[in-house]
Amino acid sequence: MSGMSRVMLEVDGLSAWYGEARVLADVSLTVAPGEVVTLVGRNGAGKTTLLRSVMGLHHQVEGTVTFEGRDLRRVRADARAKAGIGWVPDDRGIYASLSVEENLTLPPVVSPGDAWSLERVYEQFPVLHERRAFPGTKLSGGEQQMLAMARVLRMGARLLLLDEPSEGLAPVIVQRIGEIIRQIKASGVAVLLVEQNVAFASTVADRHYLLAQGRVVESLDNETFQSRTTQLLEYLGI
Amino acid sequence: MHRKKTLALAATAVSGSLVLAACGGGGPSASGGKISDGKVVLGLLNDQSGVYKDLSGPNSKVAIQMAIDDYKAKYGDKAVAKDIEIVTADHQNKPDIANTKAQEMYDRDKADIILDVPTSSAALAVANQAKAKKKLFIDIGAGTTALTGKSCNKYTFHWAYDTYMLAHGTGGVVVKNGGKKWSIVYPDYAFGQDMNKSFTAAVQQAGGTIQQSIPTPFPNDNFATYITKAQSTNPDVIGIMAAGGDLINFVKQFNQAGLQGKTDLAVGLMFITDIHSLGVDQFQGTKFTDAWYWNFDDQNRAWADKFKEKTGTRPSFAHAGNYSAALQYLEAVQRAGTDDADAVVKQLEGKKINDVFLRNGEIRAADHSVLHDAYLVQVKNKSEVKEDWDYEKVLETIPAQEAFGPVSGDCKM
Amino acid sequence: MSAFLQYTLQGLAAGGFYALAALGLAVIFGVLGVVNFSHGACYMLGAVASAVLLDTLGLSFWWALLVVPVLMFVFGVLMERLLVQWLLRLDPLYNFLLTFGITLVLVDLVKRRYGVSGLPYQLPPGLDGRVTVGSVSLSLYQVFVTLFAVLVCVAVWALLTQTRIGMIVRASTEDAERSRALGINVGRWVTPVFGFGIGLAGLSGVLAAPFRAITADMGSNFVIILFAVVVIGGLGSILGAVVAGFLVGLVEAYGQAYAPSFAQVLIFVLMALVVLVRPSGLFGREEAA
Repeated sequence: MSGMSRVMLEVDGLSAWYGEARVLADVSLTVAPGEVVTLVGRNGAGKTTLLRSVMGLHHQVEGTVTFEGRDLRRVRADARAKAGIGWVPDDRGIYASLSVEENLTLPPVVSPGDAWSLERVYEQFPVLHERRAFPGTKLSGGEQQMLAMARVLRMGARLLLLDEPSEGLAPVIVQRIGEIIRQIKASGVAVLLVEQNVAFASTVADRHYLLAQGRVVESLDNETFQSRTTQLLEYLGI
Repeated sequence: MHRKKTLALAATAVSGSLVLAACGGGGPSASGGKISDGKVVLGLLNDQSGVYKDLSGPNSKVAIQMAIDDYKAKYGDKAVAKDIEIVTADHQNKPDIANTKAQEMYDRDKADIILDVPTSSAALAVANQAKAKKKLFIDIGAGTTALTGKSCNKYTFHWAYDTYMLAHGTGGVVVKNGGKKWSIVYPDYAFGQDMNKSFTAAVQQAGGTIQQSIPTPFPNDNFATYITKAQSTNPDVIGIMAAGGDLINFVKQFNQAGLQGKTDLAVGLMFITDIHSLGVDQFQGTKFTDAWYWNFDDQNRAWADKFKEKTGTRPSFAHAGNYSAALQYLEAVQRAGTDDADAVVKQLEGKKINDVFLRNGEIRAADHSVLHDAYLVQVKNKSEVKEDWDYEKVLETIPAQEAFGPVSGDCKM
Repeated sequence: MSAFLQYTLQGLAAGGFYALAALGLAVIFGVLGVVNFSHGACYMLGAVASAVLLDTLGLSFWWALLVVPVLMFVFGVLMERLLVQWLLRLDPLYNFLLTFGITLVLVDLVKRRYGVSGLPYQLPPGLDGRVTVGSVSLSLYQVFVTLFAVLVCVAVWALLTQTRIGMIVRASTEDAERSRALGINVGRWVTPVFGFGIGLAGLSGVLAAPFRAITADMGSNFVIILFAVVVIGGLGSILGAVVAGFLVGLVEAYGQAYAPSFAQVLIFVLMALVVLVRPSGLFGREEAA
C-alpha cells in the first residue's frame, strides 16, 4: 500500500506557536519508507513540538503535513494514528491504570498486514510477557520504553515518531533499542527519531536534520554526520 | 457657597410643597396634614427567596393586605389612613442587605413602618435603622431577645416569639412533665449557641439536668454520629436546636436511628412549614413551642380559611403575626389620628390587645416585648390528621406572663 | 470499643455516598477535563426527582433507584451536547464557570417550583428497621446504603476493568490526549461518560432522599466535600475517588464523635495534609509539570 510513494512523510513549511511564541519556523523535511531520520538539536529547539504537530496534538500550526500522499491538515490525532502513525512520547506514555497487556491492546489494530501479533510482541520482549498483569508503570524505564514501542508496532503503525527513546537508559538497553529500530526499518517501517545522543543516532539513522531555534539549519547524511560528530557535540553543548 | 445652599433649600421646599399639593388634590384632603406624604406605607422586609420564604415570605404580604382590608372595612369613611400602600423587599437573611433595604424603605419608599425581618442579625440591623430614622419597626420573624434587651429602642417592637419563650416553653414544660434528663445538639453559630444557653438555663431552672451539649457544624447534613453520641447517655429527651434544612436532616436520621417513640424529641425552633415539608409521620410525637396555631380555635380557623382562599395554603404563625402587627399599627394610627411615629408609639405602649394572633396580649412599655399566650404543642400521629396542615395538638397553653421573660436590665430605652 | 465500631460503620455509610458521587466527578474530570461544579445540583435533582416521582406517580424507592439515574443520564447527555461541548477546547475555567452557572439556574428553578422548605420522602418500607449485632446497632437503611454503594462501586469497577470500553475510559481518564494519539476516538466517549457521571450523582441523590432534607440547597455543601474527596484521592483517579470517599466518611464520623465542632474542618485538614505531602493526591500520578 505504501509502496506507491517514495516519500512517506512530507512536512512542508511548518510553523508552530505557543501563544505568541513561535517555536517552529518554516520547517520542511521528508521521511521515506524504511528510512530512519533523526532530528538533532538542543533542548527547546522545537523537536518535540515538531513530533506533536505531525501527530496532530499541537493545534497552533501553519504549513502542511502529508502522510502517504494524504494531507493531514484537517485530520484529528486519533484518525492520524489510525492512518498508521505511531507515537512514542518522551515520557513513554505508559498508563498507570492499565496493566502491561492492556497498555499493549488499548490502541486499535490499524493495518492488520503490518501489525505485530501479541505473540510476536511477547516473543520479542519476554519481559513484557512475564509482567503482563502488572500495572504499566511498575516496569523499569527500559521496559517501559520497550512497551511503548511494542504498543505502536502492535497497532501496525508504518511511521514511528520516537521521542528520545535512549534518554536515561543504561547502555545495554540503548543497544537493544538500536537493534529493534534496525529490525523494524528492515520491515519497511519509517522512523522519525528525536535524539540528543549523537553516538546512538549515528548507529541507526540514514539521515539527520539539525534543528536550532525552530529552524532546520542543516540536513546531513549519516556519513557526514559521523565525520562531524565532535563538532556537533560541541554545538549541542553536550 | 452659602447662597447656593440656600437656593437649593428653597428649591427643595418649593418642589416639596408642589408634590404635597398634588397629593392633596387627589383625594379628600381632610387628613392631609396628619398623614405624612398623604399615605401610610407599610414596608415588608423579609426572606423572599431563601430558607424562610415558605415560613413568611411573599404570603406575609397577603396577610398584611388582609389587615388593611379589615381596617378599611371597620372604619370606612372615618379611617384616618385612607391611602395605604405595601412595599416589599428581600433581605436574603443578610444583615448588610437588611440594613441597606431598611434605609431605602424609610427614605426612598417613605415607609412609616417596617414589618417581619426574620434572622436575628438582620433584625438587629433594622432596629438600629429604626432608631436612627425615628420610624417604627415591628419584628415578627426573628427570635433574638436582644431586640428587647441590649438593642431595644423606642421605635422597635418584638411581636411574636423569642428564644426565651421557646426555651422556657419547651424546656420548662417538658421537664415539668417528667422529661428530666436532656442531651442537647446545637449548631455551632450565634443562634445555636444562644438557644443552647437558653435551653440549658430553662431545663436546669425547672429541675432537669443537661447530660451533654453537642455542638455541630453549620450547615450540616450528616448527623448520624451526633445522634448516637446524644443517645449514649440514655436521656429522656434529646433537644435539637437546628433549624430549617438541618433540622429536617436531623429528624430523618433520628427516626432512622430507631429513636422515634423511644426517646422524646424536643425541637428548639420549628415551624409548621417544616412539618409540612418533611411529612407529619416523620415528626410525629415531637414537642415544640408555637406562638400560634391556625387550627387552635374557631377564631383562628376562620382567619386561616380566609388566608387559604387567597394563598391556597394554611398560615404559619409568622403570617398571622404580620397580620396582627399591621392591624394593631393601623389601629394605633387611628387612635392617634396621625402616622407620626412618636404619637403611634405612645398609642402602642402598654396597650392590652386581643386579636386573632395575640391572646391576652400586652405591649410591655418597658422593653416593647409583646407578651401573649404561647403553646406547647406536639406533632400529631398520622392517624389523627384529618386534613392538610392539621398537624399540631396543643398540650398546654403557656400564659402570657410566664411565656416571656422579665424585662432585661440591658434595655435602656 | 463498640461505640468506636458503631462510628466506623456510620462513617462507612456516609462514605458510600461520597464515593459514589465522587466517582462520577472523577470520571468526568478525567475524560473531559471538566471540573463539574454542577455535581451537587445533580445530586439534588436526583433526590428531588425521587420525591416528585413518588408524589405524582407513586414511583417507589426501588423503582427510583433504577429510573432516576437513567433520567439523570439523559439530562447529562443533553447538558453535554447543548452546553458543555462548546467550551471543551477552551481553558477548563470556562466549563467550571458554565457548570457553576448551571448550578445556580437549577437551584433557583427547583426553589421556584417546589419552594424552599423541602419535599417529604418516606423511608422505603422494609428498610425502616434496625440491625443489632451484639452491642452495635445500626439502622437498616444505613447498612443498605453502605452495601449498595459498595456494590455499585464494584459494578463500576468491573465495568471499567473487565471491558474494552472500561479500558478506554480508564486510559482516557488518565490522559485523554495520549489516548487520542494512540488512535482512540476519545470524543465518542465524552458524551456517554458525562451522562454516566451525572447519572451517578443522581443515584447518590436517590439514596440521600430517605435520610437527608430534600431542598434546593442540599447540594451546595455536598459538592464542596466532594471536591475535597476528589483532591484527596487524586484528580482523575477512579480508585482514588472511591477510597477517599470512604476515608472522608470515616474522618467525618470520628470527627463528629470525638471533636464535634471540627467534624467538617477535619476533612479539609486531611485534604491540606494530603496536598502538602503528595500534591497529586493519594492515588494521583506524580505529574512532572
